[in-house]
Amino acid sequence: MTEPKDYLAGVGSDIAKSQKRVLFVTRRTSTKVKVRDEEQVQTFPEALLRIAVAVELLVVALICASLLFDAPLEGIADPADTPNPAKAPWYFLGLQEMLHYFPPIVAGILIPALLVLALVVIPYFNVNIEAEGLFLTNRRRRLNIFYIASLGLSLFLLFFKVYVALVPTLIVAAFMLIAASSSLDSAKRYRRYLASKPASWWIMTWFLFELIVLTVVGTFFRGPGWSWVLPWKG
Amino acid sequence: MSDNRLGENKSTPSRAGQQISRRKLFAKLGMASLGAAATGTMALTYRFLSPSVLYEPSPIVNAGKSESYPLDSVTLDVNSAIYLIHVQEGFFSLHAVCTHLGCMTVWKPELDVITCPCHGSQFSREGQKLDGPAPKPLPWLKSWIDDEGDIVVDRSTVIQPFQFLRI
Amino acid sequence: MARGTDSYFDKLQRTRAWRSVFRSGSGYSTLHRALAIQQNVFLHLFSTKVRRRMLTFRATWYLGALTLGTFFILVVTGILLMLYFHPSVPQAYADMKDLKFVVSSGMFLRNLHRWSAHAMVFLVFAHMFKVFYRGAYRPPREFNWVIGVILLLIALLLSYTGYLLPWDQLAFWAITVGSNIASAVPVFGGKVSFLLLGGHQVNANALLRFYVLHCVILPLAAALLIAVHMWRIRKDGGLYVRQSEPRIEPSAGTLRDSQPDDAVVKV
Repeated sequence: MTEPKDYLAGVGSDIAKSQKRVLFVTRRTSTKVKVRDEEQVQTFPEALLRIAVAVELLVVALICASLLFDAPLEGIADPADTPNPAKAPWYFLGLQEMLHYFPPIVAGILIPALLVLALVVIPYFNVNIEAEGLFLTNRRRRLNIFYIASLGLSLFLLFFKVYVALVPTLIVAAFMLIAASSSLDSAKRYRRYLASKPASWWIMTWFLFELIVLTVVGTFFRGPGWSWVLPWKG
Repeated sequence: MSDNRLGENKSTPSRAGQQISRRKLFAKLGMASLGAAATGTMALTYRFLSPSVLYEPSPIVNAGKSESYPLDSVTLDVNSAIYLIHVQEGFFSLHAVCTHLGCMTVWKPELDVITCPCHGSQFSREGQKLDGPAPKPLPWLKSWIDDEGDIVVDRSTVIQPFQFLRI
Repeated sequence: MARGTDSYFDKLQRTRAWRSVFRSGSGYSTLHRALAIQQNVFLHLFSTKVRRRMLTFRATWYLGALTLGTFFILVVTGILLMLYFHPSVPQAYADMKDLKFVVSSGMFLRNLHRWSAHAMVFLVFAHMFKVFYRGAYRPPREFNWVIGVILLLIALLLSYTGYLLPWDQLAFWAITVGSNIASAVPVFGGKVSFLLLGGHQVNANALLRFYVLHCVILPLAAALLIAVHMWRIRKDGGLYVRQSEPRIEPSAGTLRDSQPDDAVVKV
């Protein structure tokens, strides 16, 4: 299928005629997104009361949790006595898991900095705004790039024996292959769904998956000396 | 201008014996439960804000044996701010802080008065105000003899004057 | 007006005293409701109208509002807890014990603070992912996304600085590990760590600095950025409404952009 043109409108150039305004509409980045008037309602009461109910439910849930579960308090801080394992708060456990494999400057500084940078620049790249399915155009070329990237990442992780990160990567790569072999006309609904997802979606989903897996591993599957333990065994 | 209350046109006012609309009932129940929650929260907050334990010295002062205080003596303990006074009728204790603005008073034996150096208030040996801007007499403090025979004073409890501790 | 059926509250609302405070008056008309938002210094961060589509639970899962809710809980419980906390060593630990055994509702408030903190970190991440998957970072909302990322970092820092305050083994060693990582930054890692801890070790200076960061500096920064974040939502045209996501209707072979979405969009 030929590549659609980048613009959709043109005009004849007869200068003798009165000037006409010309609008070039580029593919998928049109600023004219209002196709019809949206129905609007009053902030108060519609929005504010809904928010109030949601927050109230949250407060009730948190109060119940506070009445039932106590926050932990261990012995007084003792610089001479390091507990084993010394675990960071749960939202940093993913990072601490990475520390197990890479030197602190990589796992502690480089990776978080790159992550934050990657997050910040997301909206500034056109490819994230256009949001077309990853393999729907230039399929062959993109598939090749995908093979190289995923293979490279997997080998890198394998080389450093980061199995906890390797497994989610392979799982996501498998789903991407399914997407590559589907299209918007596929029979099964999940195939159509996967085929429609853009590159940014795949990368973010991979990130989310890794985050969950690394945090769960760091919380439940790591014991003294950061050794691998199975949480259901004593 | 018509009242825009939606859906309430059909309800009659909630006088006793009259019907009340469902909306009004739930509104009242909701406000009542919010009120109950708010009251409970305020009560618990007040309890939270009042410390249960104070890092201050105990108001109970052990003044030692009665023999340390000869007859007609007025002894000031600066640390606990009390006078231990032994008269004919017995022992009693006065709070040594001037009732005017909180300065520490002193006993002047040559004048037989307790004076305050800040603004010149003067009190008698029994704590009665003699002169000066102080509004009230020096309070008498509760005292008793404990099991070991010591005189004990409770600085936080004020008693009526002229109640002597007799040994 | 049916004056005979007015409640006492209605009568109160017509007094001069009440109307001097709530100047836009009370009522149920659209005008009154709009004024209730627009005339209020706190509420006029919102616009007076919102799009109906964004009110549904499916749209946002109310995650932004819930995150803000946990922030309020944390501020209130935090202030109350500050009344019984001396940020010195070893008094801080003794105060934690006091909160548990001596202070009325002390343990409850501490628990509420802790679980709200965990909830807030979780909700901030969830909010970020939901915004991404909704596509609400696209122009003109790019900078609001950046502000959101900064707020995420502030939330994590708030959690991190608060973690040290109980001064127990968990706190001490978690922060020690963290500051060792920070000092691994080349060139100025050591200096940053020195400034953060007020020394070379995690000790009384560190506790005090983390306390000030946790209670003053970071909450102020968060409050300011939250205000900007919400202001920008409004200036960017309100919460994002999905209009041009590709649809998975089988009839589509290519993507459309100039065709009205009503034909293929299911709201």
